[in-house]
Amino acid sequence: MIPLEYILLLSAMLFTVGLVGVLTRKHAIIVLISVEIMLNAANLNFIAFWRYNPSPDLHMGTMFSLFAIAVAGAEVTVGLALVIAIYRHYQTLDTEALNRLKE
Amino acid sequence: MTIIFIILSITALTGAISAIFLKNLIYAVYSLLLLFVAIAGIFLMLMAEFLAVVQILVYLGAIGILVLFGVMMTRNISGASSERILSRGWFFGLVISVLMLFGVLIPGLAFSELSSSPAVETITPSVKEIGIQLMHLNTPALWLTAVLLTAALIGAVVVAVPRNYSSKLFLTYKLENKNKSSK
Amino acid sequence: MAAVSQSEILWIALIPLLPLVASLVIALINPKSKGLGVSIAMIAMLGSLVLSFKAFYMTWHLDGALFFNFEWLRAGSQSVELGVLLNSLTGSMLAMVTFVGLLIFIFAGSYMDHDERKTRFFCYLCLFASGMLGLLIANSILLLFMCWEIVGLASYLLIGFWFHKPEAAKAAQKAFIATRVGDIGFLIGILLVFKYTGTFVFYSSNGLGILQDIGLTMLTSHTNVILGLNAAGLVALLFFVGAIGKSGQLPLHIWLPDAMEGPTPVSALIHAATMVAAGVFLVARTYPLFAADPITLSVVAWFGAATALFAAIIALAQYDIKRILAFSTVSQLGLMMVGLGTGGVATGMFHLLTHAFFKALLFLGAGSIIHGCHDEQDIRKMGGLLKYMPTSSVCYLFGTLALCAFPFTAGFFSKDAILLTAWSKSQPIFWISASASFLTAVYMTRQCVYVFLGKYRGRKSPHESSLQMTVPLMILAVISLVGGYVATSFHVNHYLDGSDHAEHLQIVVIISYCISLGGIFLGYVFYKRGKLGEGLPDPLELLIGPIYRVMENRFYVDEVYNGTIYKVWDGLGCFAQLIDEILNLKKLITVGIVRFFAKFFAETTDEKFINGLAFDGVCHVVQESAPIATRMQNGFFSGYLRTVSIGVLLLGIIMWVSFGS
Repeated sequence: MIPLEYILLLSAMLFTVGLVGVLTRKHAIIVLISVEIMLNAANLNFIAFWRYNPSPDLHMGTMFSLFAIAVAGAEVTVGLALVIAIYRHYQTLDTEALNRLKE
Repeated sequence: MTIIFIILSITALTGAISAIFLKNLIYAVYSLLLLFVAIAGIFLMLMAEFLAVVQILVYLGAIGILVLFGVMMTRNISGASSERILSRGWFFGLVISVLMLFGVLIPGLAFSELSSSPAVETITPSVKEIGIQLMHLNTPALWLTAVLLTAALIGAVVVAVPRNYSSKLFLTYKLENKNKSSK
Repeated sequence: MAAVSQSEILWIALIPLLPLVASLVIALINPKSKGLGVSIAMIAMLGSLVLSFKAFYMTWHLDGALFFNFEWLRAGSQSVELGVLLNSLTGSMLAMVTFVGLLIFIFAGSYMDHDERKTRFFCYLCLFASGMLGLLIANSILLLFMCWEIVGLASYLLIGFWFHKPEAAKAAQKAFIATRVGDIGFLIGILLVFKYTGTFVFYSSNGLGILQDIGLTMLTSHTNVILGLNAAGLVALLFFVGAIGKSGQLPLHIWLPDAMEGPTPVSALIHAATMVAAGVFLVARTYPLFAADPITLSVVAWFGAATALFAAIIALAQYDIKRILAFSTVSQLGLMMVGLGTGGVATGMFHLLTHAFFKALLFLGAGSIIHGCHDEQDIRKMGGLLKYMPTSSVCYLFGTLALCAFPFTAGFFSKDAILLTAWSKSQPIFWISASASFLTAVYMTRQCVYVFLGKYRGRKSPHESSLQMTVPLMILAVISLVGGYVATSFHVNHYLDGSDHAEHLQIVVIISYCISLGGIFLGYVFYKRGKLGEGLPDPLELLIGPIYRVMENRFYVDEVYNGTIYKVWDGLGCFAQLIDEILNLKKLITVGIVRFFAKFFAETTDEKFINGLAFDGVCHVVQESAPIATRMQNGFFSGYLRTVSIGVLLLGIIMWVSFGS
């Protein structure tokens, strides 16, 4: 079988890629996508630890991931709704142009 | 086994990286879907069949398509070719991310003692067990998730419906009520 | 203490839960249906009242405490327990809070009639009541703290209820921040308790609760933790810091008078019965901790005495009817602290209970007067109201008598007990408290002379308030008059902490007679003779001149805070600005790499390097030192995200370093 480190390493790298996306891209939808990547990395961690722990029959990792997926679904729904609302209002999704937080 | 895992990992990473750096948003979403599929494959390898199915259903079927629609509903699909895709001071963000990887995540891995093979060789197909768990130990969480999803649904509608449109909706509703009451 | 865990008392958890549910329901109903919201609130409060009286009745025949604990969460081998507790302290406070609370609800139902957001108001009121009641029944310092914060939040919402008035919004923030300062001390105390004993509960069936003998021994065994205090004393002092914030003691009293910007029922609820009482209650609840180290009790007593006198002096020179009452509350809270510090639980709590009734009466009476005088709060523009609003005025006068400790009113018995214990413990504290009581009598008489006697000095003629407002006043007036006598004849001391009523000392009784009667007489003669009115100087001002001005400006405490703490704040601002500029070093790195990534950097370098780092940047540091926040807050979305992730990064690194992998 694959050692646990490999999976965790993959998850760490995916997380970092997601973080890079969040921190460097300026398109709002890409930022949203990057957050999804990070969430997936976290889910991967849950499942890996669950698989490698002594009593996987309790399915705790699965539960966590299931709820994380549900929350991710909610997050994307609201996030996209916001994106669309913002787009309608400002006609752009460039996060640099959206600087109303300044006020 | 390891070879399959490595192939899946490379697919996942490729998907993730191209999702982040492709200029064309539609392609970015497609590569995101690639990532989702690869993750689902890894779930299968880890004997979490149910979760793999959920991953495909929710992420590919719902979230992926949703993002795709989101992209289509906002015009700027490909982005003007001359426009830069990275935000101001992106290098700083990159440095933070790399620091996060090599300063926190990888040391965390390196200094922990991790088992090299699963404690339990095989896990019997588990949907029934998951169902039982969901309805026994995790019922409150299940309820809360239901509430959360409902709230997210309503919130998304409220946010996304154009303001003048929603006020129109509200007005007609009010008018109808008035007519009813006057009758 | 014969304390056994009993799950039968779990029903008392309903007492705070009813208002909580009511507040949630009111939040969801249509804000236009005012009647529905008010009736939901009333029904919930009535339910709590019935249950509270049941609890109160139970505690009469109860020796020790009943409690029920349950595990809230478990992390590793540490488990955190929460629980409910019922003893005489809880029982009496529950009865008082729900009773006064219900009367205030009834009053507010009429007072807030022409407010658009009446339903919202009742939602907040219910939230407040539930927090307060939860605080009373908590058997865990953690649960107490949670409810404490709910109360803080609700008071913020209520004080700032008329947030369209800038003063109200400011007052709400001030109240929130000032109490927060105290809460930090409280929180540190809680954490220390957990560190030393490993539990949060007060009473536990295995005897390890922090107020039980074993728990206390665990605390006191850590001697000389800091400044010669043992752990119990340190924790007690930190709790007292929280109590200072909540109960408006020196030096955190500044929020209390400003909190008068809220609607009057709120003032009554917050300043009379509940929120400010929470601090005193906290000290009473954790009294064994205070008693475990002798220094702490004298600290409490000294703080109380200083506050009592200080606030009484200020109250002498105020013109806003509610502000006078606010300072009087501060002063009375100081006396309660004196009672706790010198006498024990019974002495302080007795005054708290009687004070809650007559101060609620005074605030509601003031509300009625303000309502009748068309939202006029300046006592110089009132006068002769005895003629115009007889019911309110008479009730108000009864409240005044009780506050002045007129013989055989409620305030007399409780204040007498405090003076008695102060006399036997420490003479200086006694004389300070006595002079504070004397001033109390003087300024209350001054206020009454201003408001009720003479000719009416306002413009529109006043009118009596509706029955819904005066009935609660009458009920409270009756209790203020006879409550003390009834309570004393039922052996309130024995009920509250098992002690017997202290022996009366002739001299103290005589002094307290002199104080109240003399104060009232002096005030009456002094102010009746002087000319009162807007634009005219106060009779006292003619006598002491500029000192009066200092008193009127509340000894410039707010100004001193402006001058010192805000300056420190500005200094911190400079520091943060410096950090910000150090962060700008990233631009230096940019320059270093520009040759390799010329393509990406061509557009950013110029702007950042030349403008940001070189001349302009340096000048900026020198010139502008204060407004850092605006610099960080540049509306640049990714910048915010990066700042957040720097924080996460640092946290991760700190974790690695501190856990040593």
